[in-house]
Amino acid sequence: MHKELEHSFVELLEKHQNIIHKVCRLYTYDYDAHNDLFQEITIQLWKAYPKFRGDSKFSTWMYRVGLNTAITLYRKSKRRISTQDFNDVQFKISAEEYDDTEEQQLKLLYNAVKQLNDIEKALVFLYLEDKNYKEISETMGISEVNARVKMNRVKNKLRTILNP
Amino acid sequence: MDELELLKKDWKKGENNFPKLSYNQIYKMILKKSSSIVKWIFIISILEFVFWVAISFLLKYTGFADDIGDIESNTAFILMSVISYIILAYFFYRFYMNYRTINTTDNATTLMENILKTRRTVKQYVGFNLIAMVVSVGVLLPYFMEQDPETQTIIEQATANGELLKFYAGIIIVTLLMLAVAIGLILLFYYLIYGILLKRLNKNYRELKKLEV
Repeated sequence: MHKELEHSFVELLEKHQNIIHKVCRLYTYDYDAHNDLFQEITIQLWKAYPKFRGDSKFSTWMYRVGLNTAITLYRKSKRRISTQDFNDVQFKISAEEYDDTEEQQLKLLYNAVKQLNDIEKALVFLYLEDKNYKEISETMGISEVNARVKMNRVKNKLRTILNP
Repeated sequence: MDELELLKKDWKKGENNFPKLSYNQIYKMILKKSSSIVKWIFIISILEFVFWVAISFLLKYTGFADDIGDIESNTAFILMSVISYIILAYFFYRFYMNYRTINTTDNATTLMENILKTRRTVKQYVGFNLIAMVVSVGVLLPYFMEQDPETQTIIEQATANGELLKFYAGIIIVTLLMLAVAIGLILLFYYLIYGILLKRLNKNYRELKKLEV
């Protein structure tokens, strides 16, 4: 029975592993930290799996446990991009011959997202994953109105970071 | 174009760039041990319960108990011990029940609330012990001084020299200092626990509760 459970879990996770990679991408800054968080999310998912009833989609369930691990349970201290590093990135780009390509804009955007706090990142993550406000509010445990207000603030914050 | 829309477009494209972990790699991961804060909170909380039980045993079964002699047979003392065990059992039961409600599949706010609730129970138990410690010192010290022949001799000498006030002032100052050091150490321990383990959780919890009515 235990072996069967292990097998079905690993198979499902192998199929949906990108969800965990995406959470790690937002919350970590290097390869080692990415792997470490991936490992912890996998363990938390496995621990919770016996209670997974299948009444929600496996992927939906993964979003919840993945985000909970990243913003609440994960213990290792993460290395933040310091303001200095961030300024360097901006400086390098503005020093180059100005080229408003989408790629550069995206680079700045990803850097800006990394500067958000844990909760704001979670909102951005769910938004990027096409979750509606109802799902966002249910995952985070806040009201739908609050989710919308917070998301608007995140957008404004990103704009401020991008255009100081 | 909205910044997040631009990001979303790229976000979807990036899906293929992640490393693909194999069945065996994932299987190996589930055999490893978690290092989540919930595990640490459980260990630290148990240690706190053990610490206070050990302190009460140490006081009861070491030299201190001999000094207070027949206090063991004192009904009030026995009653106090029984009450302290009932209180321990009550706090431990509440801690365990709260701990069991911690569920990673809850929404983020509920999960954080349950973790904080579990910690709060242990904090209340420690608070209770600190108050009990101060009260016991207040009650036992005069009792001990009254019973101990050596102390009585010192008191008599001090009375003869007219230094009784000085003697009592000294005793009170030393006792207060010792209590302050003990409480200070416990608070330092707490500061460290919260600094290391719960700072981020508290910050995220406040962020989630912001704007909520």
